[in-house]
Amino acid sequence: MESVSTMSPDQSVNIGSLALKNPVLTASGTFGYALEYDDFFDVATLGGVCTKGLSLEPRLGNAPNRICETASGMLNAIGLANIGVEAFCRDKLPTLRNRGVTVVANIFAETIADFVKLAGRLDRENGIAALELNVSCPNVDKGGIAFGCDADMSAAVTSAVKAATALPVWVKMSPEAGDVVGVARACERAGADAITAINTIRGAAIDIETQQPRLHHRTGGLSGPAIKPIALRIVWDLARALHIPVIGIGGISTGADAIEFILAGASAIQVGTANFVDPCAAQKVKDGIRTYCERRNLAVRDLIGKVRAP
Amino acid sequence: MTRQLVRAPLLGRDRVGPLYHLLSFDLEREVEAAPGQFAMVRCADWGHAPLLSRPMSLVEGGRRPTILIKVVGEGTRRMALAAPGQPFDLMLPLGNRWSACPEGVTPVFVAGGCGIAPLLFFARELRARGTRPVALYGGRSKDDLPLDEDMSRVSDLRLLTEDGSRGVKGLVTALLEPALQEVGRKAKVYTCGPHRMMAAVATICAKLDVECEACLETPMACGYGVCLGCPVKTSSGGYLHACVDGPCVDARTISWNR
Repeated sequence: MESVSTMSPDQSVNIGSLALKNPVLTASGTFGYALEYDDFFDVATLGGVCTKGLSLEPRLGNAPNRICETASGMLNAIGLANIGVEAFCRDKLPTLRNRGVTVVANIFAETIADFVKLAGRLDRENGIAALELNVSCPNVDKGGIAFGCDADMSAAVTSAVKAATALPVWVKMSPEAGDVVGVARACERAGADAITAINTIRGAAIDIETQQPRLHHRTGGLSGPAIKPIALRIVWDLARALHIPVIGIGGISTGADAIEFILAGASAIQVGTANFVDPCAAQKVKDGIRTYCERRNLAVRDLIGKVRAP
Repeated sequence: MTRQLVRAPLLGRDRVGPLYHLLSFDLEREVEAAPGQFAMVRCADWGHAPLLSRPMSLVEGGRRPTILIKVVGEGTRRMALAAPGQPFDLMLPLGNRWSACPEGVTPVFVAGGCGIAPLLFFARELRARGTRPVALYGGRSKDDLPLDEDMSRVSDLRLLTEDGSRGVKGLVTALLEPALQEVGRKAKVYTCGPHRMMAAVATICAKLDVECEACLETPMACGYGVCLGCPVKTSSGGYLHACVDGPCVDARTISWNR
């Protein structure tokens, strides 16, 4: 018989009314539709997966080159290429549902009306745990970051989507809003169930041989370990200011990185660019968090926001 | 074959001329990889920089997979300095293989520089079946024809250089039409090399109504279909992704004008 002391500490966390079996999710745009991982590991063991950003209609995305590596990070300007919400519901969701994967549908639209349509469409499906609103994509001309840098617009999108669905609604913040806390507070007042922070930060790179930008789109979103300190600072600020849970994302590639975000106040975290380097990265982050908790005999919930004064 | 991420020590690194290196790895278990398929490769000790793995065509599969690298940036520069025993992370096998060359059809290869890698793998496989391809192989200079001797053992090899320092002077595409006429019966062209070379090869093949398959090279972050960083424009106006829809594709499906 197992004694209490050898039991693994509880890894579950709550994001509002939604219980996750552990705090590790995969970030939208870095994990496809999660069915690409069959060769590598069982994605149902994760706290959840955030889908590639879904739009009402399929999107081709931007012309290449779409990516380039930078110091400890990468720039991407994919342009929200995706199969569209109908193909997702028809071709991907049933399999994810059968496997017991916790699916967070990340959605993107250029207008509030289309955000509402997307939310209404997904609300009719079984097997979706929450919606994540992408109001912070830096690589599209309309919608995206233009919504996410404006508190009133972000709040308007949030309240309109909340009215269209019974699903929990998470809003994904751009780090480029002058006042990220202000935008997040506006979303909280508008009914958001959680805030995801952060999306990528716009950057650029130029090839000095061709004297052209390395990305066809000229600029792209910077991600990876390079942005982790910025993400951590923003998550920390948000956790202190908000009453709703914060989901931390930005450069997390190890359990240690994740623990930093949790101590700063994140109730869950997302693994993004690290998935490209190692398809099992999220699983390893999950194991790293568990090991940390076991060493201290603490549940994950006991660590949230427990950063100490210097 | 299931894709897998494995850590394996560098078995050997052979300099191939002044610009290229042939790296082989010592896997614990055999990986069934086919000609045309590739691996995502990085040194295990890179940490966060360089961050991403590099897509590399396989020259061999099995227990000792081999890649050919040319130093073009920080990642390949470090790979070219690696010592035997140094651990690497490899994800493989990725992408699709060259399609079969039907019975009675002569395979004609057109390679440029590093593009020799997947074609040498293929030529060795064809040899096992008793087929000897015609191989046109070009580079800027004599230093840009790595593995030419290996290729000469398994093909009817013709070399060209842009500066005339080895073989015929000129672009490799200049020999394609004569070679196809010389073959005289049905041919199928397989090409791998710089975009402009493959575009020219595809144009010639389309004109002569000869089947042509190209092995694509693009930047990619993941190699397994999730980053969407490797789109290639198709002739129907959409995109395919070099990592999962390719890298080997029917040249007619690609929009070669950039």
